[in-house]
Amino acid sequence: MSDTIERVKKVVAETLKIETSMIKDESRFVEDLGAESIQSVELVAAFEEEFDIEMDEQGALGVKDVGTAVTFIEKHL
Amino acid sequence: MTTSNTYKPLTDQQVEQIKTQGCRADDWSAVTVADGFDPGRVHDVHFEGSVKIGSLAGTVTSASGLDRPCGIEEATLINCTLGDGVRIANVGSHIANYRVGDGACIEDVGVIQTNPSATFGNGTEVEVLNEGGGREVSVFNAMSSQFAHLWCMHRYRPKFIDKLEAFAKAQADSARSDTGTIGSGAKVSAVGRIIDVNIGDAATVWGASALVNGTILSTDDAPTLIGDGVQAHDFIVGEGTKVTQGAIVAKSFVGQGCQVGKQFSAEGSLFFANCEAFHGEACSIFAGPYTVTHHKSTLLIAGLFSFYNAGSGTNQSNHMYKLGPVHEGKLERGCKTGSFSYMMWPCRVGPFSVVLGKHTRTFDLSDLPFSHIEAAHDGRCMVVPGLNLSTVGTIRDGAKWPTRDRRMGQLKRDRISFDVFSPMVVGRMINGHDRIKELIANTDKSVDTVTIEGAQVKRVLLRGGVKYYRSGIYTYLLEKVVSRIERAVEQGVSLDKALADTPGSAYSEKWVDIGGQMMPAKRLEDLYADVESDKIADVAAFEEALDTIHVAYADDEWAWVRQAYKKVFEADLDAFKAEDAVKIADQLLTDQSKFLKLILIDAGKEFDTVTQVGFGQDGSADDVAADFKAVRGEYDTNKFVKQMKQAVEDLNTRIEKLKQALAVCA
Repeated sequence: MSDTIERVKKVVAETLKIETSMIKDESRFVEDLGAESIQSVELVAAFEEEFDIEMDEQGALGVKDVGTAVTFIEKHL
Repeated sequence: MTTSNTYKPLTDQQVEQIKTQGCRADDWSAVTVADGFDPGRVHDVHFEGSVKIGSLAGTVTSASGLDRPCGIEEATLINCTLGDGVRIANVGSHIANYRVGDGACIEDVGVIQTNPSATFGNGTEVEVLNEGGGREVSVFNAMSSQFAHLWCMHRYRPKFIDKLEAFAKAQADSARSDTGTIGSGAKVSAVGRIIDVNIGDAATVWGASALVNGTILSTDDAPTLIGDGVQAHDFIVGEGTKVTQGAIVAKSFVGQGCQVGKQFSAEGSLFFANCEAFHGEACSIFAGPYTVTHHKSTLLIAGLFSFYNAGSGTNQSNHMYKLGPVHEGKLERGCKTGSFSYMMWPCRVGPFSVVLGKHTRTFDLSDLPFSHIEAAHDGRCMVVPGLNLSTVGTIRDGAKWPTRDRRMGQLKRDRISFDVFSPMVVGRMINGHDRIKELIANTDKSVDTVTIEGAQVKRVLLRGGVKYYRSGIYTYLLEKVVSRIERAVEQGVSLDKALADTPGSAYSEKWVDIGGQMMPAKRLEDLYADVESDKIADVAAFEEALDTIHVAYADDEWAWVRQAYKKVFEADLDAFKAEDAVKIADQLLTDQSKFLKLILIDAGKEFDTVTQVGFGQDGSADDVAADFKAVRGEYDTNKFVKQMKQAVEDLNTRIEKLKQALAVCA
């Protein structure tokens, strides 16, 4: 779990070009981390590559914050 | 236009009467009248040359909607023929060399005159796409978007182009006349100057400033309106079109069912069926069917568009040249440009793509339809391939265009293929899919972005592009095959017969979009050959050939689907069995349901908390949601959302029904 969180934060930081320290478990991608609409697509793609999984797009695009992203990804691992 | 009257000279008594009513003539014997002529309805008229007058009985409806008595008052008529039931009043200077149809009403005009050998806008050379010339199209009344597209864009077929030019010249020559026409039931009021302009039946010209060298095509079933403050020079306006509110139209063709107004300025441009142009400017553009621009500061220049929506401040430039303007842009059908988007031509944007930001690099994304194309801060083009495939906008646009065809008359000159998914677009998706797969295979994971035809893609997004395109391709092909099987089951036709090629269909891997009409490249090759060999020798035969191609669309599409299915699924429809039908029905259910659910997710974004920012003015946090609900409604009750949910249910029902029927057949 903790490993997944750290890797998720690393991906988020790289994709949104922000410091990892700014990212909390409860951070919302749009409201708190300033993700643009298109970056949500990029985040899904980056998670897929980082964890070598194929995420269900219907669910993935509904993930709005770091915590739910971690839960969602762990289901696919 | 009727006026089939027999005219006879005025009697001495009639001459005396109208003289006492303030009328004069250079030669009274040249003034002739029809049976039923009422001299009591002619006051203060000066007749010059040959003037023929109809019965003048009854009343006629004026442009303002009032019923006014027929007759002629305060006018100078020079070489005119008037039909029955006409009203002409308050002509400042004169009406010269015109035939005026039955029931026409002309009031409060400055001058209406036809000069010798007028062509009424026909033969006007419009410098489309390139202000410096090279793609000139000489417009004529019967010109379709297909004719214009081929003439303008296919200069690489010089023999073919020479023939089209000859066809167009013959049309312009046949329009040539010393006499203009104001059609039956036409209403012309409060217009300053009308010179060398034909006005069709039932047209209304009310408040225009000046109309010079043009034709206003109009029919009883598709009346045309030219309104306040319009200035039009060297023009043709199609049936059912409205040009109003201070629009300026110069050296331009405006097709059927269009709306041009609110001070829009068009120069050197062609607009075809159902275009809308307000506030902004068009210069040397080819506006195919459903090109729409509504906002100020929007300049469309040197571009080819169709099914297009321009955001406010959209702009392009073609000025990066030394020897004249050589740069052109192509936005293929279904594109949108966001507010203040800019493209430095030359660029080519694939179908149904969205362009945002300021692009200062050349790119060609024809093979990446449905893409999200955004400019980086340094002007580089960043593309997300296929992202728009499952957006609400694409689906809604596809549904709305056929319902917004404003061409009211029976005659529809432009042939329009409305399908969003077609062999042309799906063929591009196949190309894009293959290209991206190749890029994935050849790109190391350490690479951040890859370049594709002048644009850049984040490497991690390549896989998504493949998925989007694969989903679109599968859904299209499976839907086509399954619906054919459904029809076969319903009609008791065997599967092998139902899935066979239709005799007479044409197959090409490549399809083309000719001014809104899609067709296999082979059909176009045949058309070229028929024109170049004189088998097709005039515009009528040319248009008839295009009609035949249009009618064959579904059969040609099926021929393409058969081949594409073989390539994509590596399965031959000629060897198709009932169990295969069940399998692909299930696959369609899976793929299409997923696709529809993605659209629902996209629709959901319009109801999330981020979208609600700006609502609930002066209220509490609770008021935000309440205000949003009051203004925008709720996700679950939204009409589009309900339609999509219903579509998922209908698909389930449909596939279950098919599988049951197939089980019975087996």
